[in-house]
Amino acid sequence: MFNITYAEVQDILNKAKIDHLPKLNISILRNVIVESIVPYLKFLAYKMDFSAEIRMGDYDNIVQESLGMKEGIFKKETDCVLIFMKLENLSWNLARNFPALSAEEVKNEVMRIQEAIANIHTGIRKQTDAMLLWHGFELPLYPGLGIWDSQIPMGQAGVILELNNFLRTALRSISNAYYVDLNLCLTRVGGRTFYDDRYWHIGRAPYSREALCEIASEDFKFIRSLKGKGKKCLVLDCDNVLWGGIIGEDGMSGIKLSKTYPGSSYYEFQQEVMSLYNRGILIALCSKNNAEDVREVFRNHSDMVLKEKHIAAAEINWEDKATSLKKVAANLNIGLESLVFVDDSEFEVNLVRTAIPEVTVIHLPKDKSVEYRNILASCGLFDTLIVSAEDRKRGTMYKAEAQRKQLQSQAPDLEAYLKSLEMVIEVKFADNFTLPRITQLTQKTNQFNLTTRRYSEADIKKYMEAMDVDVFSLRLMDKFGDSGFVGVCILKYTKQKAVIDTLLLSCRILGRGVENVFVIQALKLAKQRECEAVIGEFYPTAKNAQVKDFFLKQGFELLSDKAEGHYRFLMNQPIREEPSYFKKVSSHIYE
Amino acid sequence: MMLKEKVFKIVSQVMNVPFKEVNERSSSDNLGRWDSLQHINLILALEEEFKIKFTAEEIAQMGNVSIILDILQNKVTS
Repeated sequence: MFNITYAEVQDILNKAKIDHLPKLNISILRNVIVESIVPYLKFLAYKMDFSAEIRMGDYDNIVQESLGMKEGIFKKETDCVLIFMKLENLSWNLARNFPALSAEEVKNEVMRIQEAIANIHTGIRKQTDAMLLWHGFELPLYPGLGIWDSQIPMGQAGVILELNNFLRTALRSISNAYYVDLNLCLTRVGGRTFYDDRYWHIGRAPYSREALCEIASEDFKFIRSLKGKGKKCLVLDCDNVLWGGIIGEDGMSGIKLSKTYPGSSYYEFQQEVMSLYNRGILIALCSKNNAEDVREVFRNHSDMVLKEKHIAAAEINWEDKATSLKKVAANLNIGLESLVFVDDSEFEVNLVRTAIPEVTVIHLPKDKSVEYRNILASCGLFDTLIVSAEDRKRGTMYKAEAQRKQLQSQAPDLEAYLKSLEMVIEVKFADNFTLPRITQLTQKTNQFNLTTRRYSEADIKKYMEAMDVDVFSLRLMDKFGDSGFVGVCILKYTKQKAVIDTLLLSCRILGRGVENVFVIQALKLAKQRECEAVIGEFYPTAKNAQVKDFFLKQGFELLSDKAEGHYRFLMNQPIREEPSYFKKVSSHIYE
Repeated sequence: MMLKEKVFKIVSQVMNVPFKEVNERSSSDNLGRWDSLQHINLILALEEEFKIKFTAEEIAQMGNVSIILDILQNKVTS
């Protein structure tokens, strides 16, 4: 997973300057010793530009701590709770004495465990809304009934699978709680390397260093997504990545791409890329080639899995790749830190790593093409907590965007162009259906985001239910397609004032004046709620400089002179009408 | 780097103490951070560095640097 040693991890952490980094608060509840995972967690947090503060629960005190008997294990700022509940310490009988149990005894043990799980969930949620990551029960390497165990539905393995299903379902019913598949980690590392029997006996520490490394990596796929650090776009080199060989030299018949060796490595790699496409990740190309040569492969090679329609942006030219990557990011309206760049050339890899370190780079060594698929599949950079219907449509949405751009180059002026799009906006209060998408937008939106407050589903749900908070979403459609839910606004009411806690728009739909409509909607709602003023807040970040003067442009007055601005719109002023180039603005939030 | 220096370096990294403060007499009795949990981390780091595995009995004995050096000398030369 990472190819540096444990001692080197410790060394890096000892020397790291972390005081200025935001804190990542992790609490760990456990019934076994897992302390050796801490340096890996801190290291992964540091790579994410966070400083991890780990609070370890007492040994085998999960129930007590979930009932609130340990002060300080959960804090208001706790971001994430990891739960390690090994079956051996929960039910020795199920874990190690299975053949001795009658069906009745198995049933009773299962019920006891299910009840414990439910109580722990409830107890933890009463104390914190932090993300819960519960590691599942491990399947036995040597099931109690031997080969007979695998033939019957409710052998030891069957019972443990059922317990994991119960756990998974129970976690789905609480917001912000996820099942971490420990058996996947076990499978990846391998049963013979996952456990360290010496430490299990000496100190009740079951997992080997390799196991803890893999578990920490898996946990951070969730944490990265929670903190909005998941990557949005995979940028691919072409030669010796999508196919073996160089198209400009070997020609269509010379490059290696087929379902049999040696082209199969590249075929399977492309299939892996398609999986990412279908999960909502943008796919782009960055290749030093004649554009026509590359296009020919995409159009005419019978074994290409990727087609032109899957590519959201392409820089195929002879310029340096740092410049090209910046163009890809600009084209797609996303930050460089959202890109993952893949290339076989050490030269390009080092150039990009040096010139634009914000981009994550994966080097695919030319002589290891059989490993390409695995390298991409295991990178864990694209995971999201939710894969929504929106995500699955993202590729087609980008194609529609290309069509809009084409229209724009033909329209005489901006307003005429915007009018020709026939845009329809729908504004409504958040509901259970839009809840996941709204949450995702607060976690991922960086540029058009006035306050960059990150929320979990539990947070938004609380706001939806609160009497003094309104959460509403904006949906945009035009004649080329449906962009889906692209805006979130959260208004908080105190003493006849409405404060805009959150106002954000997806970077996909900027430049169309949608933000004007959004603000007008917020003002109209505040007026309906009999507010005297609406307060807008702006908190500068590295990425939202474009909205620095947003409220001024909307007719608000500046209240304070610091870098973070507070702006006010008095309700005795008239509220302007929505721009006329929108075909329809359908609002369900006020009369 | 000689075996002794490698061991001192790892002890210094895992226990987060300056390299020059580590010597043959360093042990869980006199190095503040060397508790049972850090002991596990130290063993893991030594196993990784020297590409060997210690037995459970050896792990229990390796509470001070001079014993660690003895055990390592035997394992590395044999």
